[in-house]
Amino acid sequence: MVTVALDVVPEHTYKWIDAANATHPSLIDAGHVTDDLFGFVNIPMAVWIDETGTIVRPAEAASIQRSPLRDMEIPEGLPERIDRMYREVKAIPDVADDYRAAIADWAQHGSASRFVLSADEVIARSLPRGDDEARAAACFELGNHLRVTVGPEAAVPWWREAHRLFPSNWTYKRQAWTLVTTPEGADDNDLMQGPNDVYEGNWLDDVIAGGGGAAYNLLPQL
Amino acid sequence: MILTSLDGVTADDFAEHTGWAPKPEGLCRGEVCVPAPGSLLDDGTVHIATAAARLGMPVVHDEQHGTWAVGSATLGGKALATATAADPELLTRDGNPFRLSALHGRKVLLVAWSSY
Repeated sequence: MVTVALDVVPEHTYKWIDAANATHPSLIDAGHVTDDLFGFVNIPMAVWIDETGTIVRPAEAASIQRSPLRDMEIPEGLPERIDRMYREVKAIPDVADDYRAAIADWAQHGSASRFVLSADEVIARSLPRGDDEARAAACFELGNHLRVTVGPEAAVPWWREAHRLFPSNWTYKRQAWTLVTTPEGADDNDLMQGPNDVYEGNWLDDVIAGGGGAAYNLLPQL
Repeated sequence: MILTSLDGVTADDFAEHTGWAPKPEGLCRGEVCVPAPGSLLDDGTVHIATAAARLGMPVVHDEQHGTWAVGSATLGGKALATATAADPELLTRDGNPFRLSALHGRKVLLVAWSSY
């Protein structure tokens, strides 16, 4: 296994990598280039690459353990937005057990695993990419370059354009939102990513606009 | 791919940042080669506008800061134009470069995550 963190601020990943104390390579993609090169649009997602460097399953949602959030009891009396956010999170489909079993099958049977796809199937199942999605990648990269070389505000118009062009790329949006909604000095990035004065969208309203939690992940077709 | 000029981009730089290697037969990635006359210039640099047009790569420009970004290829209308895995240079926790090709001969489950 190799993990890759899609984080434009590498320092934000260190505490998690250190806590995991992993024996596998724990990489950082500070430019989100793997979004573009592998087709990641959310996290967690994964691709399977065989011994020859050939992708045998394209990018797809990759949970291997059922999240306790799916089964949580939502307390009464929460503020409306918090209550709705919990309900959308609970609605995110969970196929973690099946996905974990598929990985184990591949590890055991290799190219004979029924979950291994041909090159043509891999390409066919990869996400659509037209001019909008490709232009969004360029806008995100340009924004990130200007964020580093000029300042955070220089990224904003380009990241807003990336969000407009490719609304189903959650890493472009979540990355941008968390940088403006996390309070200064906070230990962790803000995961709620609520309404803000910088970007038009926010996590909850964009999830609802995209079809709700049930449509949030690119589920593996196993 | 970030550029501060559209001139003087070497074939190696173009390949490193886009995954498409300019060769005499065209722009190549894995088993796929796209004929692209005029993309590879005699001095070994790449004519960005021509190469980008052949691969369907949008080019965006920030005039104020004199910077361009070249977007991803749209050949075939899919995120993947080939099943050959890209091999970008990524960083380890300690800041050292790492490429997936270092793991050839082993299966790789490449898992994307984030702190947000």
